[in-house]
Amino acid sequence: MSQLTDALASNIGAGDGAGAEPGTAPKRGGKPPKAPKVPRGKFSVHFAHYKWLYLLLLPGVLYFAVFRYAPMYGVSIAFKDYVPFLGVNASPWVGFQHFQDFFSNPDFARLLGNTLILAFLNLGIAFPLTIVLALLLNEVRLSILKRTVQTLVYIPHFLSWTIVASLSFLLFALDFGPLFLFINNVLGTDIDFLSDPAWFRPLIILQEIWKNTGWGTIIFLAALATVDQDQYEAAIIDGAGRFRRVWHITLPGIRSTIIVMLILAIGQMLNTGFEQIYLMTNALNRSVADVFDTYVYFVGITQGAYSYSTAVGLFKSLVGIVLIFGTNALAKRFNQSGLF
Amino acid sequence: MINRKLSLAAAVVTATALTLTACSGGEAPAADLTQVSIMAPFLEAQPPGADGAVQKKLEEITGKDVNITWTPNASYEDKMNITLASSEIPHVMVVQSKSPGFVKNAEAGAFWDLTDKLDNYPNLKTTFPDIQQNASINGKVFGVYRGRAPMRAAVMFRQDWLDKVGMEAPKTTEDLYKVAKAFTEQDPDGNGQDDTWGITIPKWGALGSNSPYDLIEEWYGAGNRWTEKDGKLIPSFETEEFLEANRFVKKMVDEKLINPDFATFDGTKWNEPFFNGKGGIIVDVDSRVSVLINLFKQADPNNFENKVGFVGNLEGPDGELHAHPTDGYSGFLAIPKSSVRTEAELTKVLEFINTLNSKDAAILLNNGIEGVNFALEDGAAAPIKPETPEGKAVATDIKSYAQLGMNVAGNSFYPVKQASEYEQQVFDKRVEVMAEDLKSAVYNPAAPYVSATYVSKGAQLDNIVADARIKYLAGQIDEQGLKDAIKLWNTSGGDKVKEEINKLWQDNK
Repeated sequence: MSQLTDALASNIGAGDGAGAEPGTAPKRGGKPPKAPKVPRGKFSVHFAHYKWLYLLLLPGVLYFAVFRYAPMYGVSIAFKDYVPFLGVNASPWVGFQHFQDFFSNPDFARLLGNTLILAFLNLGIAFPLTIVLALLLNEVRLSILKRTVQTLVYIPHFLSWTIVASLSFLLFALDFGPLFLFINNVLGTDIDFLSDPAWFRPLIILQEIWKNTGWGTIIFLAALATVDQDQYEAAIIDGAGRFRRVWHITLPGIRSTIIVMLILAIGQMLNTGFEQIYLMTNALNRSVADVFDTYVYFVGITQGAYSYSTAVGLFKSLVGIVLIFGTNALAKRFNQSGLF
Repeated sequence: MINRKLSLAAAVVTATALTLTACSGGEAPAADLTQVSIMAPFLEAQPPGADGAVQKKLEEITGKDVNITWTPNASYEDKMNITLASSEIPHVMVVQSKSPGFVKNAEAGAFWDLTDKLDNYPNLKTTFPDIQQNASINGKVFGVYRGRAPMRAAVMFRQDWLDKVGMEAPKTTEDLYKVAKAFTEQDPDGNGQDDTWGITIPKWGALGSNSPYDLIEEWYGAGNRWTEKDGKLIPSFETEEFLEANRFVKKMVDEKLINPDFATFDGTKWNEPFFNGKGGIIVDVDSRVSVLINLFKQADPNNFENKVGFVGNLEGPDGELHAHPTDGYSGFLAIPKSSVRTEAELTKVLEFINTLNSKDAAILLNNGIEGVNFALEDGAAAPIKPETPEGKAVATDIKSYAQLGMNVAGNSFYPVKQASEYEQQVFDKRVEVMAEDLKSAVYNPAAPYVSATYVSKGAQLDNIVADARIKYLAGQIDEQGLKDAIKLWNTSGGDKVKEEINKLWQDNK
């Protein structure tokens, strides 16, 4: 789930910017602060003027160049028949062979389906829940209670998926697990949650909610703090109840943050989380559990088909880019400030 | 995530490949080999240090400066591939299996073909040519195989339960069913509750992985991965015996003689139900007998001798014993061509490996150092008690150094003397039973053959049948569903695998 933290890290800047705007101009879309006068003309003059800013930029550029762009060279093996002994350069080119193999593979439809279903469930259930939880926390007036609850809901984020999976196995163990016994006794059923394919997705979403919802509220809480308090007072005088205040002031106030988070979430959508799914998969639920991430691991690492699995991973990245641009365009069309 | 790792790995590979081309302009090293580098896996928490007593003794025996790169077992395959593309290639690499990655590298010419060379070295000439053949790629030997016990299959059961229900140790699969039924229904632990079952099976589905399912299928006569029928090789899951065996297992699942969570039960906890008195039977390798006995011994050192019973392979319904052997090896020591460039150098390296496989070296790698961690008693190595710090260091180190042992002409090191007379008896009986079963072993006729299609998609193909097998046993699909999965295996590429394997088999007959 390090993607999430990456997204968070890169979004804190975006969130701050977006969060600072709404109080002043929530509807018109944020106008950038007035830029100081830029000296025109030669680049050297320009550079000399802004050298310290460029220096500040350097670590970021280096980071992306070394850790994000340089490794992209390796993507070329998606178009080669890569043999480690021969190396990237000497391995023969095969063009789009691996992509053709993948798209004509009977697994393709199933993988795409499983990945998309899980992705949309995550987006449709886990993402709104984060906002709901943030709103709930925001309404808590007792500071000590709020802080305590916040700390408690952050904790699961710091547990590894291995621990989350082990906990699930303990809780839902057939004939022994306390939750297994409780739910089946109450409902009078005999469901084996861990192997029943119908329960795989609910279990995954539940784990995701339990682990990451609390952590996800951080940015929304930051945005909520910037909503203009005067508007609430005005609304109270006008006789607005709590729900109306949330609906008409709070939510519009953090709308641009929500949009930005949504775009980022959609960009990460296909990263269904390798560890979590890998750990929860077994022979009985594999038909619904196989996703791109586990497939890439299975084919690439365990079968040594590096080229083929790189092609699959590349395809996944392309879909991710299309989704980001698509959502961004949609956000702009609906008169919201997009991400870029 | 993985994708990112992969591309990062690829970048590392590229960078190192560039350095390699930069360096390869230089002259080959002197033909006189004073230093030998080896890449080997370690399975312990820590790799051995570079200046331990075992290391020093090893250098003394071989007369070389031995430089071992210990690599964690879990990521060994990845590291092997990256190493092969780098400029720091060792003289000798432990290769753990004929993985698709290894096969591709070997076919691209990464390793020396040793087929006609090994017999020239007294310690490398195998006395088990079949196993050497199993370890080859279509008859080409790319390394000195690391020998392993060829017969390991066993059925172990709670002896005290068996006595309680008044039964004999099982001899046939039908007996296994009866004992499992008695263990489930006759309250073998005597607590008055219906809380026991017969056989415990963990999450272990892959085909041909020596799983309990594979064992039972072989006992039924389905063959070992591949089997000959009407002059052709077919996968064992296409035999009638395969279906019969799975009907038999399904009957036990349906009658609750097998733990109901067999599809998800964590394999690392396999001993627990046995030890805690829940499930009374385990079908696995015979070395687990000793592990189980040790569990009971730790819990109650005065009363552990009547807890664990075992038998070897079981007779099938046809009244015959089809014992399940392993492939007899666990990877091999291969010699990369990019570090050992000439035949003259190859000879030097082979001479080194020859010494590494001598009796002295075998004893060092497997038993340790006499007088430090073990003493010789009646031809067996008895651990020295109380353990000295030096002895302990040696005992810890050899767990890793044993990875370098090959023993292609049988084990020349000493058997380990067991801690008590009872354990010694059990150990001796294990050796005896396994030796007897080996006579009825049914080998995998396709073991030496590597089919190109199987290399590229074998694991996915096999998953189709492996998953269907578990689904069938769990009742998610019926027998027709299982047959459909086998059909799907064929249409998704299995047909081609069969064709290629049969061609290789015919050509090498």
